[in-house]
Amino acid sequence: MKRYGEHRFPGKLFVVEGIDGSGKSTQLSLLHQWLRAEGYGTVFSEWNSSPLVRDTTRRGKKKKMLTPATFCLIHATDFADRMEHNIIPLLKAGAVVLCDRYIYTAFARDVVRGMDPTWVRELYAFAVKPTAAFYFRTPLEVAMNRLINGRNGFKFYEAGMDLELSGDPVESFELFQGRILEEYEKMIPEFDLTVVDATRPIEEQQAQMRQQVKAKLAQAKRLRVAP
Amino acid sequence: MRETYGVLLPEMKLDNLPGKLIVIEGTDGVGRSTQIRLLKPWLEQGGHAVVDTGMTRSKLASGGIKQAKQGHTLGRVTLNLFYATDFADRLENDIIPALRAGFVVLTDRYIYSLIARAVVRGIDPSWIRTVYNFALIPDAVFYLRIGVDDLLPRVVFSTGFDYWESGMDLHPSEDMYESFRKYQPALLAEFDHLAEEYRFEVIDASRDVPAVFEDLRAGITRVLADKEQTPPVSVPTQAAREGLDLQESSAAGSNGAGS
Repeated sequence: MKRYGEHRFPGKLFVVEGIDGSGKSTQLSLLHQWLRAEGYGTVFSEWNSSPLVRDTTRRGKKKKMLTPATFCLIHATDFADRMEHNIIPLLKAGAVVLCDRYIYTAFARDVVRGMDPTWVRELYAFAVKPTAAFYFRTPLEVAMNRLINGRNGFKFYEAGMDLELSGDPVESFELFQGRILEEYEKMIPEFDLTVVDATRPIEEQQAQMRQQVKAKLAQAKRLRVAP
Repeated sequence: MRETYGVLLPEMKLDNLPGKLIVIEGTDGVGRSTQIRLLKPWLEQGGHAVVDTGMTRSKLASGGIKQAKQGHTLGRVTLNLFYATDFADRLENDIIPALRAGFVVLTDRYIYSLIARAVVRGIDPSWIRTVYNFALIPDAVFYLRIGVDDLLPRVVFSTGFDYWESGMDLHPSEDMYESFRKYQPALLAEFDHLAEEYRFEVIDASRDVPAVFEDLRAGITRVLADKEQTPPVSVPTQAAREGLDLQESSAAGSNGAGS
């Protein structure tokens, strides 16, 4: 079993992280289009874990059966499934793999729920270390403004309602995300996250991302596909 | 006070868990479930409330794990984490509440079987131990130990070979017998390591059912004796008992002198 940082694959792995409303998904999809146009074999890794794990996760959430420990473990199971069946084979094949959220999301979320930080990191030791991880830093107010208009309500676990911070889902979400932001800040130096100022114009953020991705790809074996 | 193997789960309170956690470990076919079927009524006749639990019996994950084993579709890390999810669910929802209520919890396997199987399948031994770091340290682990030559006829004449217990995922071969012959010795060797590391009480399970049952009863009686003598404050049991004896005998002595 290879551990974080020990894998050697011809492919490259780029991930985006940040709270909801940080604009990370928009940036990742722009990057995806550009990489394809450049002729790289690029795959957007979906959360298409096997139905067994997915159904268990869904059932646990729907019935509110999950404690911080089982929430953490079922998501780690789900992630492992995706790692073993999707991400690792793609990287072996030399693909450029893009992930919207990665292990850092789990670290932030699980630690806010009271799980031991060292233990959670060790739990995910099987994960491949990304070529680069972009963190879209956003003040809470900015993210909240983007979300309030675009959504109708938050789900129970998404809003951190299990933490009983507030009976009101919107308020609970805001408090929960505030704590998540604190965890992300701690992880920037720890995991060498590349910070993108998500309050800047979309075009500028994308230009920064492309420049940094290009630098990493220059050293890579190019798996070009016909456009 | 109880302890875990290293990490505490959120809201896991370890004080006031007066029940007893008793683990029966051993490889498949060694007779664990037969013994548990005998132990439960024996304990109940002795006035103890008993809860029995075992692997893949959680409300959350048991269905998914059973299906996964049918289709053999999950990767090794994934399957191990699925087991860990099942274990955490049972620990929080079954085992700890029962211990809090003063039950004797008899568990058919615990983290050790899960660790042994994972390690035999190439999972990092230190990683899998850390994953199960949140497990409560049991009051006793009785390990039903058997050699592969004694195990074989039992498996053949009871349930027959099982895909997983023959390690067919590891040693695919024409027939399960060949695979079993390779897999079980590796697994038993791993159990022997764990027996030392976690100080199992080893019971020779190559003997007949009544002989093994007798050893288990003796062992469990000893564990339960600790329970009945444990004072509400956490004083070492042995010292407390000796202290009590001393007071009684000196009181008896002074009475004798006075009369």
